[in-house]
Amino acid sequence: MADPIPAISVKRLCKEFDGHEVLRDIDLDIPAGTTTCILGPSGSGKSTFLRCLNWLEIPSSGAVFLDGRRVGGETNAAGKVTVNRRELAETRAKIGMVFQHFALWRHLTVLQNVTEAPIQVLKRPRQDVETQAMAILEQVGLADKAHVYPHALSGGQKQRVAISRALAMKPKVILFDEPTSALDPEMVGEVLAVMRSLAKGGMTQVIVTHEMAFARDVSDTVVFMDGGQIREVAPAKEFFAAPKTERARRFLS
Amino acid sequence: MTAWLSAIGIALSLPLGLLLAIIRWRRVAVLDGVLAGFVSLIRATPFVTLVLFIFFVLPSLGIELKPIPAAIVALTINTMAFSSEIWRSALDSFPRDQREAAEACGMSEFQALRRVIFPQIWRSSLGPLVSEATILLKCTPAIAVIGVVEITRAASRIGAETYEPLPPFLLATVLYTALIAVLVRGQRYVERRVANRYGYVAP
Amino acid sequence: MNGVSILWESRELFLQGALDTLTLVLGCLVLSLPLSILGAVLMNESGPSLKRALRELFDFLRCVPFLLLAYVIYYGLPELGVRLPPWWAGLVSLTLYNAAYLVEIFRAAFNGIDRDNIEAAQAFGFSRLQTYRRVILPQAVITAAPLIGNQTITAMRDSAFLMIITVQELTFTANFVSANHFSPFAPFAMAVGLYWLMSVSIEWVVGRMGIIRRSRYG
Repeated sequence: MADPIPAISVKRLCKEFDGHEVLRDIDLDIPAGTTTCILGPSGSGKSTFLRCLNWLEIPSSGAVFLDGRRVGGETNAAGKVTVNRRELAETRAKIGMVFQHFALWRHLTVLQNVTEAPIQVLKRPRQDVETQAMAILEQVGLADKAHVYPHALSGGQKQRVAISRALAMKPKVILFDEPTSALDPEMVGEVLAVMRSLAKGGMTQVIVTHEMAFARDVSDTVVFMDGGQIREVAPAKEFFAAPKTERARRFLS
Repeated sequence: MTAWLSAIGIALSLPLGLLLAIIRWRRVAVLDGVLAGFVSLIRATPFVTLVLFIFFVLPSLGIELKPIPAAIVALTINTMAFSSEIWRSALDSFPRDQREAAEACGMSEFQALRRVIFPQIWRSSLGPLVSEATILLKCTPAIAVIGVVEITRAASRIGAETYEPLPPFLLATVLYTALIAVLVRGQRYVERRVANRYGYVAP
Repeated sequence: MNGVSILWESRELFLQGALDTLTLVLGCLVLSLPLSILGAVLMNESGPSLKRALRELFDFLRCVPFLLLAYVIYYGLPELGVRLPPWWAGLVSLTLYNAAYLVEIFRAAFNGIDRDNIEAAQAFGFSRLQTYRRVILPQAVITAAPLIGNQTITAMRDSAFLMIITVQELTFTANFVSANHFSPFAPFAMAVGLYWLMSVSIEWVVGRMGIIRRSRYG
């Protein structure tokens, strides 16, 4: 069977905003080397869930484990969260993230965007990082844009840079928050192609998306969320062929 | 005294500033260039320097001025230059179609300015103008210079020896600060009022 | 004695005065930039009570007429046992005053930065300090540059007030020369011209930075 320790493991995760419950009792294991798509109607809490995985949103209770090590801090009985900032930063460095609106640092060139975190956070030597970054940019077909500033790129190019930026950290997992939602239709393909090749290469990916065809063809597992809860977890082929729950059936139709 | 000087300065400089702005906005030949240079010069000149200039130079041109009128002239020229920039940016950003609508109704240019443009731009310019007024208020202590300047060196020496210079200055500081704080509060209040009533957002 | 010869005779005084003004403004900029950045970061990061105290302090400084602030510092510091020559007292007051305005400029610039640019830094494991140093500040300085330029011109104009506490800057020089020669026009015109030159230079620098900024960041 698969690796005994899952890449990401979520235990009884809850999240409230001002007394309003957004996520309820979420349990989920994500095996290493797999691609998982999180689907669901808007407002189902899937983006919030993704952002809880690297503690960009601090969960109200519950825990997230990366390779068996706890992410973020402790939640005591009173629901008070204590965060060890340094440990959290160390863990986050192992989790890549790709944002809906790219979130490229606009004062840095493409190459600098990719090398910034490995140099600053991982303290790796500049020379190494730059060589590696150029290799990654080559892979995603943007080596010729290395010294351009992000504003001069198209949306699809920006998102490929954002993926390169995540890859340069050699992360255990990459989280994608609706990576193609802000793109013009003709640019969606180039971004999905990069993610597809990552999946083939055995990268662990967690993807919140509305791209059904992509989820069906590329992902190993589909997680279906609705109303702040996980309603269904199934291999992608099974989920699309025969969803078990009524909600998922309605969502797919 | 301070309040009076400031009030007169404001009363004179706002319309004059508007006049300058309109001249520059209409791009009156030659005058436009001259005024642009004038405004740029005044905006670079420290207020103290301007006060001294007017107080000392005008008499040599045959115009005798007592300190108070000299102060008023200096305040007015200074604030006129700054407010003309505020008016001008308001005029420049005034929607073209509104002006065309006025012309289409057969209004003369002056009528359009008076009935359509001015009632709108004074509201959008209010915030910057009031903050200009607080700056003017902050400049007024400089007027003391023309009374004091010959004895500055003496004063500092006396202050060091016998006379205690700190308490009066502290008192003056408190008074001024209170006055300006009131004006700043007032400005925020007026901005909110205008924004609520006319849907203008303070820039 | 005509104006030109007066100016020629006192050229060294004017050079010295202009230099004094220039060093005051530059010194003030060098000191107040880090000070105001620190102030803005403190206001962003501190708890509600410290934040409130800081806001009151900066609001207060912005309401004080600069001349009076300079007086109070010049005459007040000796009372506290600190004796400063006029130039240094002037620099201290100019720096404090200018910093109060710059804090506000930097705070607005911090708030203007895209939320997700900062989140991306957090997600990649940047510490708080690294986030400020590598992401927030470089962007804030770029967006605030024109306002910092304006504020620098204001500081230059304010520096003339310091003649009253006998700092021998440009206006002091003009006044001194005109008193010595009983001929006010030329010295003051010269001072105005030099101020104008400095302010045009500052605007030119800001304009250049604006061109570079637009070509890079759109």
